[in-house]
Amino acid sequence: MLEEFLIQTINGIVVGMILALVASGLTLIFGIMDVVNFAHGELFMLGAYVGVVTLAGTGSFWLALLVATLVVAALGAAIHVTTLRPLLGRDPLNTILVTFGISLVLQNYALWQFGPVARKINEPFTGHFNLFYLEYPWYRLVIALLSAAIIAGLWLFLKYSTYGVWIRATTQDRLMAQAMGIPVPRLLTIVFAIGSGMAAASGVLFGPLVGVNHAMGLDWVLKAFIVVVVGGMGNLVGSIAASIFISLTESYASLWVSPSQAIIVSFVVLILTLLIRPTGLFVPTPK
Amino acid sequence: MTAADHSEALVRVEDIHTYYGKSHILHGVSLEVRRGEIVGLLGRNGVGKSTTLKAIMGLVHPTRGEVLLEGQSLGHLPAHRVARLGIGYVPEDRRIFRLLTVSENLRTGLDGRGVSEARKKELLEMVFDFFPVLAERRNQAGGTLSGGEQQMLAIARAMMLEPKIILLDEPTEGLMPRMVSQIRHIIHVLRREGVAVLLVEQNVPLTLETSERVYFMEKGQVRHQAAASELHADHEVVHKYLGV
Repeated sequence: MLEEFLIQTINGIVVGMILALVASGLTLIFGIMDVVNFAHGELFMLGAYVGVVTLAGTGSFWLALLVATLVVAALGAAIHVTTLRPLLGRDPLNTILVTFGISLVLQNYALWQFGPVARKINEPFTGHFNLFYLEYPWYRLVIALLSAAIIAGLWLFLKYSTYGVWIRATTQDRLMAQAMGIPVPRLLTIVFAIGSGMAAASGVLFGPLVGVNHAMGLDWVLKAFIVVVVGGMGNLVGSIAASIFISLTESYASLWVSPSQAIIVSFVVLILTLLIRPTGLFVPTPK
Repeated sequence: MTAADHSEALVRVEDIHTYYGKSHILHGVSLEVRRGEIVGLLGRNGVGKSTTLKAIMGLVHPTRGEVLLEGQSLGHLPAHRVARLGIGYVPEDRRIFRLLTVSENLRTGLDGRGVSEARKKELLEMVFDFFPVLAERRNQAGGTLSGGEQQMLAIARAMMLEPKIILLDEPTEGLMPRMVSQIRHIIHVLRREGVAVLLVEQNVPLTLETSERVYFMEKGQVRHQAAASELHADHEVVHKYLGV
């Protein structure tokens, strides 16, 4: 029992870190522009596909990771400039409809371009180590570490760079940020690009575990939304904590029930959060 | 008025009209501030003083009329471009970035303008010299400062833009009387540095004492202007427009 518990702990943290990578892009975008990005899962999926194509062309997983991140970040910037920037200052419902529309377009594009059969991204290395009675793949631990490193990079960027200070200032008070000379429209595009690139990176990293298909974004974006709400909308640290928390709870739950039933646990956490503490579990009580 | 007078104006507001939704807020406001001049803008609550400042800043765009900076129309330039042309804004509720440290608050106006590192240091030393308490608290979150300290930070932050004019909206609101003299001192410092100020205030004695000229607003329009030296707090003009 203790062994299973430890294995599930490691599984929970690995999945939680990937989820945190998806959710931090989502929460960053929500925090600064109040845009609930329904296309986030599709950017994750497109990232995985760009990874598949680059991997097939070059044979390098790491290059595929880099190319997917950059290509999808550029796509995100283009999406922002052409569809979201013109809606600045409108009712949030407009942006919800637009991002939902974009998600449908991207999903059907992927279906048309790549077909319904799932593609495979091979792990960059296949070593295992012994974890009690299991052969545990090293790659899974590497995913967790890489995700943590990317999130740490984001944190350093937000904390120390000029753009980071601008992003935090704009998240707190967009009007005052403009009055301080911060080029807010350009900044929003950059944030959308960063969020998109992070979604793409998680798509490539997670590809080897699940297989790549046009609908893979759906599960993830749903979970990422749960995490963003539970962690406190727009709160980066809260989202990361909530990712780990929810993944661990699901992992532990699957000790007793089947993994598909374990997903119910996330929804229970979501509903309880909304009932008891709608501002989020991992944020200080608002004054 | 001759052409020469026009060129003297640093900021000229010409007959601007603004709407908030369907309500007509400004009904043709005109005023001007000359280089290095301290100008007061008085009037009862809700006559459009704050909206006038927002319109100059480009945070609200007038549907008619225009704002000129050094003779150039600002048109519908977004606020961030207006800020970089040399207009600093200190809003009514100060609106400092509460989760950013004092240093980071100041950085928002320093970075990305192509200012040399040496000049940045100079500007920081200047405001830390004016407001030593900000230097002491530079690594503290803005939200933890007292009201007076936040007001200093809001003004210091605007000064980071090296503005030609600062729009100061009710700087003494909610401050202890002791702090009011501090604000008076700050306005004197700005005057000494050659920064023009357009001051919106409820505190009439402070406004008359620090300003060179005063405009009076009523119902979305400027109704009267006078040299501050001609007025005192119980003057009939003051009484007429402010009911004090």
